[in-house]
Amino acid sequence: MLTVDPTVFMVGWEYPPHNSGGLGVACEGLTEALALQNTQIYFTLPYQHSQTLGHVKMISCVDDCWQTPTARPPFLAYDSTPVNLPHETPTWDVASLQALPQSELEHRVDEYATVVANQAQTVSFDLVHGHDWMTFPAATQVADESGKPFIAHVHSTEFDRIPSGYGSAFIHQTEYEGLQRADKIIVVSYYTKHILVNRYGVDARKVEVIHNGITPIVPQPLSAQAATFATRRPLVVFMGRLTSQKGPDHFIEVAQEVLKQQPDTLFVIAGQGDLYHQLLLTTAGQQLTASMLFTGFLRGQEREQLLDRADIFVMPSLSEPFGIVALEAAQRHTPVIVSKTAGVSEVMPSALTVDFWDSAKMSSTIVELLQNRQLRQRQTTAQLQELESVTWSKAAIDIKKLYRRVFLG
Amino acid sequence: MPQICLYFQLHQPYRLGDFSVFDLGRDQSYFTDKKTNQNQAIFQKVSLKSYRPMLTLLAKLVADHSQFKVSLSCSGVFLEQAEQYDPVVVGLLEQLAASSQVEFLAETYYHSLASLYSPAEFKAQVDFHTQKLQELFDHTPTTFRNTELIYVNAIAEEVIKMGFKGMLTEAVPRYLHGRTLTQPFRSLAVPHLPLLLKHAQLSDDIAFRFSNPGWQWFPLGVDRYLDWVEVYGESELINLFMDFETFGEHQWAETGIFTFFQEFVERFLAHDWNNFILPSEAIAQAELQTELPIYDVPKPISWADVDRDLTAWIENPLQQDSLKKIYELQDAVLESENQALITDWRKLQTSDHFYYMCTKWAADGDVHAYFSPYDSPYEAYRRYSVVLADMVERVW
Repeated sequence: MLTVDPTVFMVGWEYPPHNSGGLGVACEGLTEALALQNTQIYFTLPYQHSQTLGHVKMISCVDDCWQTPTARPPFLAYDSTPVNLPHETPTWDVASLQALPQSELEHRVDEYATVVANQAQTVSFDLVHGHDWMTFPAATQVADESGKPFIAHVHSTEFDRIPSGYGSAFIHQTEYEGLQRADKIIVVSYYTKHILVNRYGVDARKVEVIHNGITPIVPQPLSAQAATFATRRPLVVFMGRLTSQKGPDHFIEVAQEVLKQQPDTLFVIAGQGDLYHQLLLTTAGQQLTASMLFTGFLRGQEREQLLDRADIFVMPSLSEPFGIVALEAAQRHTPVIVSKTAGVSEVMPSALTVDFWDSAKMSSTIVELLQNRQLRQRQTTAQLQELESVTWSKAAIDIKKLYRRVFLG
Repeated sequence: MPQICLYFQLHQPYRLGDFSVFDLGRDQSYFTDKKTNQNQAIFQKVSLKSYRPMLTLLAKLVADHSQFKVSLSCSGVFLEQAEQYDPVVVGLLEQLAASSQVEFLAETYYHSLASLYSPAEFKAQVDFHTQKLQELFDHTPTTFRNTELIYVNAIAEEVIKMGFKGMLTEAVPRYLHGRTLTQPFRSLAVPHLPLLLKHAQLSDDIAFRFSNPGWQWFPLGVDRYLDWVEVYGESELINLFMDFETFGEHQWAETGIFTFFQEFVERFLAHDWNNFILPSEAIAQAELQTELPIYDVPKPISWADVDRDLTAWIENPLQQDSLKKIYELQDAVLESENQALITDWRKLQTSDHFYYMCTKWAADGDVHAYFSPYDSPYEAYRRYSVVLADMVERVW
């Protein structure tokens, strides 16, 4: 047993409010719960975080050259008038990281490792904990230089993001090397463990499943009946990045089937992504205008309102390591349908599961739920019960146990 | 030597505001942003740059030259917004309407594509428009111009049924078959409906090319333009049809467009043999001719874009499904007898909504982008779809 709680050097990539998805949300939930359990955490980010947080020590790991605008005029050195370069204010945040072309992103990941390793020398810690492939080179370098154990935390793999299997060779390689190098691996679901063992050849004994949790909401959300918009028709919601991984195109296919049986149903797609224009064209082409609506990316209150109001939440992902948003929907009293290839149903078995490709089954499931209020209520109640044991503190307890085992070798 | 027939179009749509999914079923306005009224702001801006100065100039030319004649067509939604946002404009139009040198044309009140989708709705909107002209200007139009000069053989039958004497449209080379466009034509289906065809070359020299520094004739002087006009013979008719906003808005005052126009009119009239003519007069003249050439247009044409067809409004799925959905609502909306609902439904028929959804980004893309209040055609469609969803709920 450790006599004192370990200090963790955590290598991150995004953190709310500058997050684009589940990774940032998970890092927030985990670090908050770990801190409550007396874990001291240094948390690195590849951009300047705008807020001061009490529970972790943020370390911005920004390479100087990232902050220099690349569009700087040439021959500046020959200009005699002094120029104020906007060098002081960081210009990089997660949005610009997201927008980087693939090769740039790879380069950035590489440079991040150098900066993180330098920063790591200024603090003392017992363990290195890195979140997803972008942090693996950095975490590996820190672990190598410090001789401390490295725990890799997998929230999503390239096999999830590019379900065809033809993802970036660089990312596959980075994931593979990181997973091989790691002393222990945390995955967010058995679904993901399966991928690591079968596709990356990782030793199953090295992989520990620790499911994500969810932060309880107070006060209790509004019931769908108390919502103030779109009250006159059933509402079915998709919320996620508009990429092929998340299956928004399947959602449109399903909508078409549902509308044949229940023509007043309203479908809403919330999110943005590279399929956006194509999805709009498909919607119009399938004559779903005014039945299939798009909101763009939602944050905060609007996001919550939509989940509150939804009569059914659908997550037809082709491959989903976890899917926190499904838990958020359940928290907001919305029956959830997820694809069989999603980890979230491991903690919420009452969520209905359907193969992502089976539009007929998916649509009949939706229609059945829409037409049966009792069924919806039963499912909502069951989901809420299951959620009671899905907490970040539980995840933190498991992680701390793992820290100890690793620490003791 | 030739006769010139001038027609300028005044139109402003009700652009959609930031109506969102969270406004569904909450009686929110479709046409105002939550923080600003963008339609008011645009109208007032264009008014200062174009409507006020150009109408003032036309009034002066009418007063100074009894031979100067001009025809105007104002959409109903334009007139409504003028009354609401800049009544001075209505006053100036009233003043012009009192002169026999000025003619107002008939069109659909909502500047819609109803002629292509619903004959009953088409007639209803034309009737509203005539009523509005009578009410505001005590003027009863006898000449018809369809939205964006859209024309196809079948439309002529509807137009004659409504009692109009003639109609304006575009001269499209593929249907002219080499015949000169400086003569009146007649419709295929209706022998006694004369058609006046736009002289695209001379119209667009002013409307589009006037201030383009890349154009070989830039800057265009009155001398040169008069040369081009006076090439035509005494019996020929030059129809210069364009947006009213050409003067001061598409071409800013700084380009010299106002002085160009005034000087052109005055120097054209300095020769006794030159004439301005109103559309109704040109149509009356045409009726006297024994045999007018037939303008056979089997597929719809318009004055827009390079192709002069309907692809600016009806081509991609975004446009097609939006149009299909809005006209599918017709019976339910009209049966509701809910006046506010009916009016909103009609405002959503304004052609501009579909124009903004155009994804053609070839030669005409810059023109579309110039006119659109949205970042992209996809945003135009996204908003329209949300608003339609609300309308669907109101019909139930």
